Amino acid sequence: MNKIQTCTLGEMMIYQIALSIEDGVLAFHGFGSPLVQLALHLAKRNHAPNLVLVAGATYGINPTPAFLTPTTNDFAMNRDAECHLTIEELFDLAASGRLGRMFLSGLQIDRWGNMNVTRLGNDERISLKLPGGGGGCNLSADAGHVTIWTAAHRTHADENGRRRYRLAKRCDFITSVGHRTADGLPRTAMPYRGTGPDCIVTDLGVFGFNQEGHAQLRALYPDTSVELIAESTEFDLPVAANLSTAALPEPDMIEFIRRLDPLKIHQRELSPADRGRFFQLSGA
Amino acid sequence: MYTQNDKRCSLTELVAQIQNGDCLAIGGGLSWREPMAALRELVRQNIKDLKLVGSAHGIDVDLLCGAGSVAVSAESYVGFEQDFGMALNYRRACETGAVKVEDNCCYSLVQQLRAAIQGLPFMPIRSVQGTDFLKLHPEFKTMTCPFTGEQLVLVPALKPDVALIHAHYADEHGNLHIEGPPVADILFAKAAKKVLVTVEEVIPHDELAKKGVTIPYFYVTAICETPYGAHPTSCYPRYAYDREHTACYYQAAKQGKDSFHQNYLAPFVYGCEDHNAYLLAVGGKARLACLEQWDQSTEKWMQLYE
Repeated sequence: MNKIQTCTLGEMMIYQIALSIEDGVLAFHGFGSPLVQLALHLAKRNHAPNLVLVAGATYGINPTPAFLTPTTNDFAMNRDAECHLTIEELFDLAASGRLGRMFLSGLQIDRWGNMNVTRLGNDERISLKLPGGGGGCNLSADAGHVTIWTAAHRTHADENGRRRYRLAKRCDFITSVGHRTADGLPRTAMPYRGTGPDCIVTDLGVFGFNQEGHAQLRALYPDTSVELIAESTEFDLPVAANLSTAALPEPDMIEFIRRLDPLKIHQRELSPADRGRFFQLSGA
Repeated sequence: MYTQNDKRCSLTELVAQIQNGDCLAIGGGLSWREPMAALRELVRQNIKDLKLVGSAHGIDVDLLCGAGSVAVSAESYVGFEQDFGMALNYRRACETGAVKVEDNCCYSLVQQLRAAIQGLPFMPIRSVQGTDFLKLHPEFKTMTCPFTGEQLVLVPALKPDVALIHAHYADEHGNLHIEGPPVADILFAKAAKKVLVTVEEVIPHDELAKKGVTIPYFYVTAICETPYGAHPTSCYPRYAYDREHTACYYQAAKQGKDSFHQNYLAPFVYGCEDHNAYLLAVGGKARLACLEQWDQSTEKWMQLYE
């Protein structure tokens, strides 16, 4: 077999999401989230062997999927699960402070990590009905920590120079909560269990959150820059003092991802152009 | 309490128990164990103005929206994940205002059902405050907890008029056995006023007892033996998800409302007088055998997704 010398953007994002996962916690991958599903399995195999991995939709614990499917509530995703939760048990664990980490995304993500997956438009007129947030609203308050991810950070100006931002100034609807309300009221004013999002992994880089709870650029990818990221971000972009280039996964991790996802389901989260992005591994 | 000895009936009789305007909880989740045969019959019977409540759903809710059966959606997710993306009939119906959007979230729903099951007026949760769901749900209230002084959100008890479920096995008395994830079906069955169930197979009670009773008989109003009743969603271990048929569904929906009527509802719902006619229309025994052979090898299983 040829030695793996490059990693794709998808594999980079999977690795960055995996790095946010602590060993020994209970974490839930939800549905419609192939990048996250692969990240949880990678983390468990790699640095978090004691992770209590709860599969989204089936609520099976520590399964070994036959292969990644495009539909999450599938026996292939749940193969050889060690035991099972029910829907109420998973959400009770979160409500009682025992869900260590959750993964959420949005069509709009604001500077505080609030997100919208419900609708664009306003109360009078819905211009785009999105699928909805599942349990994300509840879990954004209850989960100990939240990893935010999106594979559609990059925006393109239309013929009038307008952009529809994924990292936007304001969400048309708040489906899940971040560090402050749109009006700036801090999260600590609410009796939530969890401490909120601590990173955003995107197709352009990785963000943390500063002390005010504002998203702050933490790492670039080898082919992105602060200017490029600022162009695709509607809100002001604080940059961490120790801005770095994100670490690349090891060849054996990449091989693991490719074995677990032979149908390349995770690439469906990426834009067609981004499916062609790859990075040279050091030492290759 | 539903105590009659034999709860079997025809699919037509089963579905006729759903009224216009009912609050309907559909069992299953995403592409798993949706009561699709019963929903197609519901469309044929022209039952309208339903209010749907549920967690994460897909083709089931989308089909009813495409057929004009729904007035309000209080689901928490309706879509086809990374498989096909947005649920197009659902999206159209919400955007034109034909369906009123009252999206909910999984735990809020679970707590509402639990309040109903426990005979309480409400259950408290910490979440939801700080989001716009409070605007969609003016019936949710906040209160200061008398023990801790924290502000909590109270979600009222929810008793669906009907829970519609597809299970693997029932006995004649109505005891149910579900294999694999029950999703919210047990909560729905215990909270709803009526529980209508299609099953892959009706078996003698002693066989069912050995498998284990997932839902006791007295919750269950009526049952109908409907093999492949979840198609095109999966009912593992009996059969896998029919992605090919779902792709055909999706293409019909993608071309617009009229195309969906002409190219999907006409051939697969209105044009099929019953469930057996539908099974023939989707490819009959040959196609169903293909879906049943998912466990022969990983390659065969994977081919169903290609």
